[in-house]
Amino acid sequence: MSGESLMVVEDEAHLAEVIADNLELEGWSVEVVGDGKQALERIRAAEPDLVLLDVMLPGMDGFTVCETLRGEGSRVPILFLTAKSGRDDRVRGLQLGGDDYLGKPFDLEELILRVRAILRRGEWERAPSPAGDALTLGDAVVDFATYTVTQGDRSVELTQKETMILRCLAEQPGAVVSRADIVERVWGYDVFPTLRTVDNFIVRLRRLLEPDPRNPRYIHTVRGTGYRLTP
Amino acid sequence: MKARGDDAEQVVRRPLRVYGLIVFFYAVLLTWWVYFFAHLGEQLIERMEAGGTPLSDAQRVTLVDAGDEAMRMFVFEGGFLGLLVLLSVWLVMRSVQREVVLARQQRNFVSAVTHELRSPLASARLYIDSILMRRTDERKTDRYLRHARQDLERLGRMVEDILLTRRMAESGVDVEPEVADLDAQTRAELERLHDLHEERGVTIALESPGPLLARVDPIAYGQVLDNLVSNAAKYGGDGSTVEVELSADGVFVVLEVRDHGPGLQGADPLRLQEPFVRGGDEQVRTRPGVGLGLYIVRELVRAHGGDVSLEDGLPGGGTRARVTFPAAAGEEAAA
Repeated sequence: MSGESLMVVEDEAHLAEVIADNLELEGWSVEVVGDGKQALERIRAAEPDLVLLDVMLPGMDGFTVCETLRGEGSRVPILFLTAKSGRDDRVRGLQLGGDDYLGKPFDLEELILRVRAILRRGEWERAPSPAGDALTLGDAVVDFATYTVTQGDRSVELTQKETMILRCLAEQPGAVVSRADIVERVWGYDVFPTLRTVDNFIVRLRRLLEPDPRNPRYIHTVRGTGYRLTP
Repeated sequence: MKARGDDAEQVVRRPLRVYGLIVFFYAVLLTWWVYFFAHLGEQLIERMEAGGTPLSDAQRVTLVDAGDEAMRMFVFEGGFLGLLVLLSVWLVMRSVQREVVLARQQRNFVSAVTHELRSPLASARLYIDSILMRRTDERKTDRYLRHARQDLERLGRMVEDILLTRRMAESGVDVEPEVADLDAQTRAELERLHDLHEERGVTIALESPGPLLARVDPIAYGQVLDNLVSNAAKYGGDGSTVEVELSADGVFVVLEVRDHGPGLQGADPLRLQEPFVRGGDEQVRTRPGVGLGLYIVRELVRAHGGDVSLEDGLPGGGTRARVTFPAAAGEEAAA
């Protein structure tokens, strides 16, 4: 559990100090960076296990840092820490590929719990899946390791979240998986403003994988509950 | 936050469309009426002849003239009414425009204040949480408590600034100038400020020709000096020197506060004195503050009959703030 390396990107000196001190006390090694551009370089170089990212930063704002990293294919887990806590900002942070979102001011205990939860999800992602390395749906093959869908000679990249949703469904083929389960597995508890957000991801997955997205053959909606995968 | 702000602008723009429609309707109506009156004489002639009343040429001319006269009268009155409509629409539009600007300012305020209030609140809370959860030794507890206290001071100053701005907007600036020796006032204030900025290694140097009498409100003067020195310390950075200079300039006593920071970086010195406006450079954005310090300084100084100016591009870099107060040479200092 311990020994993972975390990066705290925060320009408020006091906040960075007290967060870093407490995370170190939990046994993680912590690096503090106070500037967005610098953070981007350090994350690329050090490849930490988790980044705690402030949104309002000198150099480059946290959203752009996250977007840039995801654009480069980086999968480093990101926990947004920010004074902006409007619903729109939450959604934006998560859609850009953030893993969780904590509005200032927050509890010390809550921060530590969330960091633990994200690191644990990281372990689940890295662990070999009971469903195997790939999922075959008709003529489409989803590769859990490379996040790609291959159909004949056509190959499409999935986002990390999309891949994890599929993997979550594939680990229980034929069984109904509730939206809440998916959210908890893929994002962690109470992250999303609404469970319906999962539906948006499913819509895109169907467009990619189903021969006829209006009459799904593989990813079925179970009314009022969740989804079921039938390979 | 952004979406809600846009909604606010939507709400104030809606009446504009209604007024546009009213003006359009009025224009159509006026055109139709003008057409009607222009042909009034001819229509009367037609109707009378159709009704079997034979008209002489003289009678025809009289009828056409009467129609023209009615049209002239109508165009004059209708035009006047039209001008009134346009004027009232213009007035309404101007106030709507003001609402839009106000809504935008409000949004800036909310977003600046949210960040500025929440950050020190967050760190103070984490410092205290850490101590309560027994995660600190004695040395660290001391350090954390000191830092939490600084956070609360920062919060307190910001709340005071916001409340003062609110009071200024509501009931104007209220100062009670009295004859005071600015040299002595400044020395006393700086002693207090010195303690405040010492921890960050900021030195404050005063240059003064000796006693200088001016008409100032001592409390307001203290606030002006505090805001200017805090700004200079903030932008000068840790370990820098803030230079404070007093001098006499004719009917004014001049206070200058200078730092060796990055300067104004292209920001408009006049705009920086508006409420909630801060320098646009990201380097500056990272310094705490909501953009009220200079606004408060300007309002207080103007209430004394003085003025504020900012200047950069000085040899050795940095920014110089210059404020003036009316001199009171020859008068007795209040006890």
